[in-house]
Amino acid sequence: MLLGSPLAQAELQLVLDQRKLTPSQARASQTLLAEATALLPPSLVEQMNLRVPVRWSERLSEPVFGRATPGGALELNRLWLADLSAGRDGRFPQGRQHGTLRQELLATLVHEITHLYDRGRHWNTEQRSLLQQCRSRYRTQGEVGLPSQCRGQTERRFTLSDDPRFLDLAGWPQQIGRRGAREPTNHQTYRSPDNYELHSPGEYLAVNFEYFLLDPQYSCRRPALHAYFTDHFGWAPPQAADCPNEVPYLYAGLDAQRPALGWLDPERIYAVHYLLAEANEQWASRWGHSMLRLVICAPGRTPGPDCLLDLDHHLVLSFRAFVDDLQLSSWDGLIGNYPSRLFMLPLQKVIDEYTRLELRSLSSVPLRLDEQARRQLAQQAAALHWSYDGTYYFISNNCAVETLKLLRSGSALPQLHDLDSLTPNGLLEVLHARGLADLQPLQDRQAALRQGYYFDSHRERYQHMFEVIRSNLQIPTEHIEDWLASPAEQRQSWFASADTRSTAALLVLEEAIRRRQMLLIQQDLKQRFLSADAPPELTEVAQLAQGLMSASSFLSRPGELLSEGYGLPQPQESQRFLELAGARQQALLATADDVEQRLLALINPQQRQQLDATRDNISLLAQQLRRLHEEAGGIQLP
Amino acid sequence: MQRIPLIIATGLLALVGSAHGSSFIGTTDAIGGSLVNTIDATSDATSGNNKVVLEAREDAASFVGSDGHLRSARLEAALLHIRQSNPELEATDMQLAEAILAL
Repeated sequence: MLLGSPLAQAELQLVLDQRKLTPSQARASQTLLAEATALLPPSLVEQMNLRVPVRWSERLSEPVFGRATPGGALELNRLWLADLSAGRDGRFPQGRQHGTLRQELLATLVHEITHLYDRGRHWNTEQRSLLQQCRSRYRTQGEVGLPSQCRGQTERRFTLSDDPRFLDLAGWPQQIGRRGAREPTNHQTYRSPDNYELHSPGEYLAVNFEYFLLDPQYSCRRPALHAYFTDHFGWAPPQAADCPNEVPYLYAGLDAQRPALGWLDPERIYAVHYLLAEANEQWASRWGHSMLRLVICAPGRTPGPDCLLDLDHHLVLSFRAFVDDLQLSSWDGLIGNYPSRLFMLPLQKVIDEYTRLELRSLSSVPLRLDEQARRQLAQQAAALHWSYDGTYYFISNNCAVETLKLLRSGSALPQLHDLDSLTPNGLLEVLHARGLADLQPLQDRQAALRQGYYFDSHRERYQHMFEVIRSNLQIPTEHIEDWLASPAEQRQSWFASADTRSTAALLVLEEAIRRRQMLLIQQDLKQRFLSADAPPELTEVAQLAQGLMSASSFLSRPGELLSEGYGLPQPQESQRFLELAGARQQALLATADDVEQRLLALINPQQRQQLDATRDNISLLAQQLRRLHEEAGGIQLP
Repeated sequence: MQRIPLIIATGLLALVGSAHGSSFIGTTDAIGGSLVNTIDATSDATSGNNKVVLEAREDAASFVGSDGHLRSARLEAALLHIRQSNPELEATDMQLAEAILAL
């Protein structure tokens, strides 16, 4: 067979326009084109079967390196031709994404070829028949009767950039209740390699394909998209090295004892639970709150059911609007004035917050996800944690909607593909109906409490403890509210006659009283601050506190703090982040201490006295428990 | 230093948001959610004992106070931890819960 015959050329060819090129310019250009072609996945080169003219153009403005013409040719900016031929960087500007002129030109070619590939509808036989089926089902039955795998497939025009799975990963998720219609704006704006990717799904594809082919770290920075491309092309470019096992996340708290950065090892996740905080009377909480719980095993423990009690290591993924009940505005929530962000929180903190302070119980429902789905979910959560800055709408983009989107993009389970739910309880119901949520462990309430499938609101505990002291100590108070509100000194007078059991019950109640007093003090300060004659000291503290708040925004949006690199932070960037975040945290803690000291002085003296007296009561009861234990000859723990 | 009043600071942060419009609302929940619980870290200064056990004190108190009825996962984890680190120890759950309270 003759070389150059049409048969031998049944693949992508970049054909250089050699007019107006010196021999050395032509040689350098040919080498560049050959290199670009060699970068591409073999299956893409085969499938495209196209001769693409490439020319150096004088019509492009300086910042533009190249473009694809409407006629399907590629143009490179002639500005760089001389430097390329001379093998130097010349006037190549600092801070371009790909570092050197050569890499940038290669990226430009790859980018434009990706657009051509995307427009070429290069679907394989299987995809083609699916799209055909879906289109005909759509014509005959319309949207309502569409099978789940057809959602988003009836009007496909591009090879990749309108693929539902690609859109999920790229950050154009389905709008809830719109039969698969996509959100118009990409909110994964932080730690982008190139903001141009946010322009449209097509550009997102082209930009990411540049990095997939040219950046050996791409698989570590955007693992989900790397896996998507690898799967699609059945091929991946050589990698720099193995990615670190653990992904970093910012611990969203002010805790001097804890480093700012936590590390999540997706391999150590034994299970994922749907964590549901029950509703209460607060109107924003009336639907409850949806979260996900990662059941992470303690170091050294082989993943298995024992990990369920490693509560200290479990993480909660919680999308929140940045408000709390005190200032929640229904109007702002409806029109989307609150940002929505993904927090990664220690489970114990979340349990305490709901069961002790808000007096709401939590159900933890195992989800049937395999090992791969769990790992991908954790990676996607980390990716969102570093990049996402959404908008919270109480109705259309609340915690249930956000959790569903994370579950869908993370796990890629087909059962989730056409699932819609607007409420936390509703989401649990549909997850159950599709066989994804296992409600069995919650049937026996006592067992569920012991095993950590259910965390009870402390309201019932307090009532129970109150009944115990009432009958054991013959306390005449009838209602628990009266006991909680009675003076500390009066409560203390009952302590001496209490045995171990009653002392323990009294201790639980005193802790409850302390928390209640905190909330009352909080309310009192708030009312005084809002009143017309607010004391100047209080206004001053409020200003300090305001500074504290604005300075702490990075706690909820870690991506804004770290400008180096893109995607998941790599080890050298994590180190840098620790330094930056550590310094900020120290400053915040110092301010918080200051605010605290000033506030102490502003608390109403009577409330302050009761707070101190309650603290003394707690110490007394703790001592009494030790004494009773010793007198009874109880076991001493080492 | 006593860290108890942070919850009070939290409350004030919340009201700053409501008094000054929405520009600072963004971070309240972050602070609210994270600082609130520091009140619970203060009640005990005992050191040298395992965190899992110490954090189960209030749950141990509910267990003892309810004569074994209220039994949470946090207590369960603490009991397991004690038994695993002291395999020779022979004791009932109630005895161990009382021992946790005496720490």
